[in-house]
Order: sequence, then C-alpha cells, then structure tokens
Amino acid sequence: MSRPSSPSDGASLLRAWLGFALLLVAHFAIGPLLSGPVTPDFLLIAVLFASVRVRPGVAAVIGFASGLLLDALAPMHFGAAAVVCTALAFAASWLKAAFFSENVFVTGLFVFAGKWLFDLALAGVSGRFQTPGLLAHLLIWSPLAALLAGVLAVVLLTMFRSLYRPATR
Amino acid sequence: MSRTARSDGRLDNGIALVCVVLSLFGLIMPRSSRDRVAASLRTTVFAPVAALQSRAAAVRAAVDTRPETLRASGQVAARLLAVQGVADENATLRQLLGLSARLESGFVPADVVPSGAFDENFTLTLNAGSRSGVQRFFPVVTGAGLVGMIEQVDVARSHAITWAHPDFRVSAMSEDGTAFGIVQPHLGRGAERWLLELRGVRFRAKLDTGAVIVSSGLGATYPRGIVIGTVMAELSTPEKWARTYLVKPAVLPSAIGPVLVLLSPGTPRDLNGVWTTIASTDSAARAVAASGDSIARAAAFDELAARRAALDSVGIDSLRLDSLLRLMPGFPRRDSMPRDTVRRDTVRRDSVLRTSRVPGDER
Repeated sequence: MSRPSSPSDGASLLRAWLGFALLLVAHFAIGPLLSGPVTPDFLLIAVLFASVRVRPGVAAVIGFASGLLLDALAPMHFGAAAVVCTALAFAASWLKAAFFSENVFVTGLFVFAGKWLFDLALAGVSGRFQTPGLLAHLLIWSPLAALLAGVLAVVLLTMFRSLYRPATR
Repeated sequence: MSRTARSDGRLDNGIALVCVVLSLFGLIMPRSSRDRVAASLRTTVFAPVAALQSRAAAVRAAVDTRPETLRASGQVAARLLAVQGVADENATLRQLLGLSARLESGFVPADVVPSGAFDENFTLTLNAGSRSGVQRFFPVVTGAGLVGMIEQVDVARSHAITWAHPDFRVSAMSEDGTAFGIVQPHLGRGAERWLLELRGVRFRAKLDTGAVIVSSGLGATYPRGIVIGTVMAELSTPEKWARTYLVKPAVLPSAIGPVLVLLSPGTPRDLNGVWTTIASTDSAARAVAASGDSIARAAAFDELAARRAALDSVGIDSLRLDSLLRLMPGFPRRDSMPRDTVRRDTVRRDSVLRTSRVPGDER
C-alpha cells in the first residue's frame, strides 16, 4: 500500500486495497448477521494485513481511520478503538519482518495474538474493567474470537493468496 | 541512506503520535462533543458503511423475528377464521330471529349437535326432543329455508333427515303457484349430490332459471310457503309428459347451524311471505292484478248482459253465452281456460293476458 516503484508493485498495491475493501465490507455486512459472543473481526484482519505491507506511519493512519470508523458506529467510548488500532497497526508494521513471514500459520498466530491484544487493550483504554463478566469475556470469549480471527486469516491467505500476501522479491 | 531511514522513521513515529494524540483527544472530549463528532462522521465520511451495517442489522432482525412473525401471522389467520365463524353464526342467528318474529309461534329452536358430519348419512342431530314438543315428521327450517324433517325423537334429542337424504320428498310449487311437483334429492355424483330435483311438473308449466320453489302445503308434513330452493336448469328425462328441474337448495350444508322445528305441521298453515318478502310483494301484486281483472270481468259481463238483452229483444234464442264469449276478443272459450287460472288467489295479470289471446295460439 506504499507508493509503487514498479508496475508489478502497482498491481500488488491495487490488489491489497481491494482485499482491504472486501474485508471492510465483510465486517459490516456479514458481522451483524452473526450472533453470539464469538464473531469474526474482519476489520482487524484487514488492518493487520494492510499494516504489514506499508510503512509504520501509513499503518498508523490506516489503524487510526479504522478505529475511528469503529468509534463512529459505536460511540460509547469514542477514541478508544482509534488509539488501540493505531498502536496495533503501527506495531504490526514494525514487527512485520519478525512475524509476517511466508509461513501462513505463523501469520495466523500473529492475527490471533493481535486480536486478543486488541480486545484487552480496548477494554483497558475504554475503562471497562469494572464491567461484570469482563474477565470471562477476556479469558474465554476473546481468545475464542481471536482464534476465529486467526483461522480466518489462514483461510484468507490460503484461498486469496494474491490479495492478502505481499509479492516476494 | 541511514539519514533517510532515520528521517522516515521519525516521520512514521510522528504520524503515529499524531494519530494517537487525536484518538486520546477524542477519548477525553466531553460526551456531547464526542457524540457530535461521531454523528458527523456517520453521516458524512462513514455514511456508506453505516448504511451497510444498518441494512445487515435489519436483515438479521428480520431473520430473528421470522418464526415469531410466522407464529403471529398464523394466530391472526386463526383469529380471522374464528371471527368469520362468529360472523356467520351471528348472521344465521339474526336470520333466525327475524324468521321467528315472522313465524310468531309454533316452533322450537334447536341447535345442531356436532355428533356427525352432515355428509355422512345426510341426517342431523338436534338438541330438542319430545320434552320440547318435537314429534316425528315435524319440518326443520332455518332463516334461509327448508332443512328437512324430524325422523326420530328422543326425550332431549331428535334426529332429522335433511333435503339431501335419499328418502326426502316434499310437495313443492313455484312461488307464483303455476307449477307443482315433488322435490327430491338429485342423487348425482360429486357436487351435484348437493342439488335437488323438482319432478313431475306438468309440461305446460315452464319455469325460468332462478324461479323460487317453495313447499306447496300438500300433504301433512310441510306447511305451504317454505323456501326450498331456486331453479338452476331443466333436466332432460324420458318422461316427455312432465318436466324435471334441477334446483339449488336454499339452505346449503355449510350454513346449517341453529334451526327451528315447526310444530303442528298437520294443521293448515300458510307460511307464504315468512321467508321472502318478495313472495308477499308478489302476492300483493297478484291481488291487485286480480282485482283489476275482476273489474274488467264485471264490465265485460255487464256488456254481455246488455248484448244478451238486446239479442233477446230481437228473438235470437239460439245464441248462447259461449258463442258470445267466442266472439269477444277479451274472453277465450271456457274449455280452453285451465281450471287453476281462474282461481282468485292464483290469477296473475300475465296469465289473464295469455288466456285473452285467440284460442289455439297457446301451446
């Protein structure tokens, strides 16, 4: 998603944006159709996938915009998701060399950790530690949701390789 | 190169810092300001996404409430059917109330006991028996017309055969009294099983479609004037000397609810006009026509008497009344006039007009 240096980079960037848009639409079109405490977080997967393909600054902007979108649609703790998403995208972009290897399952593990961390950080930033049932949520449902996100990431990377995996040089 | 990398790193850090600061600023903003910003974002930049989410939520809500909606619509349909049933029963009861008011006395109201289906053996069980004065052969009617006849009587119950029963017979006539016959079940197949036949109608009495058939009062069971049905069509039968008509029953099987059992059917009783006001209107018209005819008849007889006196005065004795009648355009021969057409209660204007034609024209 950075500035393309060659035609192939331009095509890769276009595919990356397309993949991001598809996940964004999926998050808001499919997410509300599913019920229960464990729902797939397509938006966080999109942010993480995009962050590892861009510079940390751009990743921070993507994270900020995505968090702002979440905050705008659920404004009870406006700004909390923006802070967490910004930090997470920035960190993911810095850590891409270490974690975002060619191994799909490592990437899935990275998404799993990112999603769980996101839930923990969001609960902390939004000051919901006093909420009843938060512990069960963070220790039971949140890991399950993170696991679902990780599995989804693996599936997406396997099925839509050209959209979500950066071109190897 | 390293300087560029360091500057890029500083730029990235700066951008991230700005984003974090903005986010924290949003977090610590007053609630009203946060809501305003969120609302403005929802209605401008993120409006498509918000619309998409709303639509998905609506779909989800529709899916969630689908069983409840189906259950509710089923309940509404069931209630509608019940309401329709109550409305039908109400209409039947109102009709019966009107009928009982016109009958004034001499009947026992009864309900149909739902012990057996109407179409099993074409009988009905009524919750009125000999204790209420019900006896065998008493007619059973509703506000619409004739239902049948009491066949068996218990103390508190009675069983009636309906018009669809193979043994059912009733002496019937057209409403204007020009055609008489016997009504019996049609005994056809399928839906035609629920029709009646008017048999033995004399060949000259032709009935139009829609003519109302009522009981004639002949016999000891059914009083005169109970509506039986309406003529649907004429049936072709081997009996060339008589006509047979297909009759649609006035009381349909589905409409049999509360009924009235008419008491003392053996006593002479005329129920003309009880079921249909049309009948009474028609009888009134007949009376007017008959009175008009009687005036004309009286005038004719006066004229005839005057002519006769004149002829007598000239000594022509061979001229008889019949020959004079034959000469007069308004009077047919005595032998060409059917007996029933000169009855006071059955003479109609059209019958007089018909008989006033030249003898021989009538077929």
